[in-house]
Amino acid sequence: MTDNGHYGWDQGGRVVPAYALTQGRTRTVGPDLPLEALVTATELAVQNLPTLQVERRAIVRMSMQPTSVVEIGAALHVPAGVARVLVSDLANAGFLTVHLPQPTDAVGGPGQEILGRLLDGLRAR
Amino acid sequence: MDSAPARGGPQPEPGAPLGLLPLKVMVAGGFGVGKTTFVNSLSEIPPLRTEQEMTSLSVGIDDAVAIPDKTTTTVAMDFGRITVDDQLILYLFGAPGQNRFWFMWDELARGAVGAIVLVDVRRVAESFAAIDYFEDRQLPFAVAINEFPGTTEFPVSSVREALAIPPECPLVQMDARDPRSSLDTLVALVEHALTRSAR
Repeated sequence: MTDNGHYGWDQGGRVVPAYALTQGRTRTVGPDLPLEALVTATELAVQNLPTLQVERRAIVRMSMQPTSVVEIGAALHVPAGVARVLVSDLANAGFLTVHLPQPTDAVGGPGQEILGRLLDGLRAR
Repeated sequence: MDSAPARGGPQPEPGAPLGLLPLKVMVAGGFGVGKTTFVNSLSEIPPLRTEQEMTSLSVGIDDAVAIPDKTTTTVAMDFGRITVDDQLILYLFGAPGQNRFWFMWDELARGAVGAIVLVDVRRVAESFAAIDYFEDRQLPFAVAINEFPGTTEFPVSSVREALAIPPECPLVQMDARDPRSSLDTLVALVEHALTRSAR
């Protein structure tokens, strides 16, 4: 985040409709990324930063720290579906690494080990 | 979708943080019960709001149907974040309350640690649907009575009875404006989820 607290993104300056950023696509190819999926920028993205279109550059900048799809959507003021498409494109181009939730219990939730770590972390706050 | 192509693009680069894992908790409850307050009191990031598309298929009977050619609309949803440790990041999602947004609940519930159902004792009936939903899906949940002025005279046991909350499900009295109280509520949920997963 920058000094103005907004991921270096200038609020309210959009002149291009959100869907134009994704060539009209509102869905990704393949399964949708969960809202909480985390992304981190790759070395390749850092090297290619100046060549990226402005929204994609903003996403890569945010992803220098682990950032979720939902945070990206909020920071760019685009619906979550648009953020998913942009993130998927960047991941497919090798610019982002995606960290998905890893359900391990019978009903799809996190397993015991993860819940134990979560509990320890929350209690330590 | 039955096919499962590799998603997430290429393999992690050397030097990229390894083992990052996102987690999520749903925050449910009727309109005005304090979901946004609860999320904001716990979040380390400024209050954020996301917009989610709603297609006409999922809308059902909705205002959007009356608007010709309007096939999608969006619903706003509050969320917050807690960085738990160097690998775990927990997201809190305030689930939109109205019935017509239930399609979003399925996505939010999938893979969640659990849910917190906020209750205003003056309007307990508004929490029935959420409790039913989480019981149906076997998602661990905790019920949190958000104390509004003048609501302390309601005994907790009567709320448990009125809402038919299972005995093993945590029921706490709290103040969503107080970060410590909200954190304690979250801890109660995770303890419950852990106990259940150990069974």
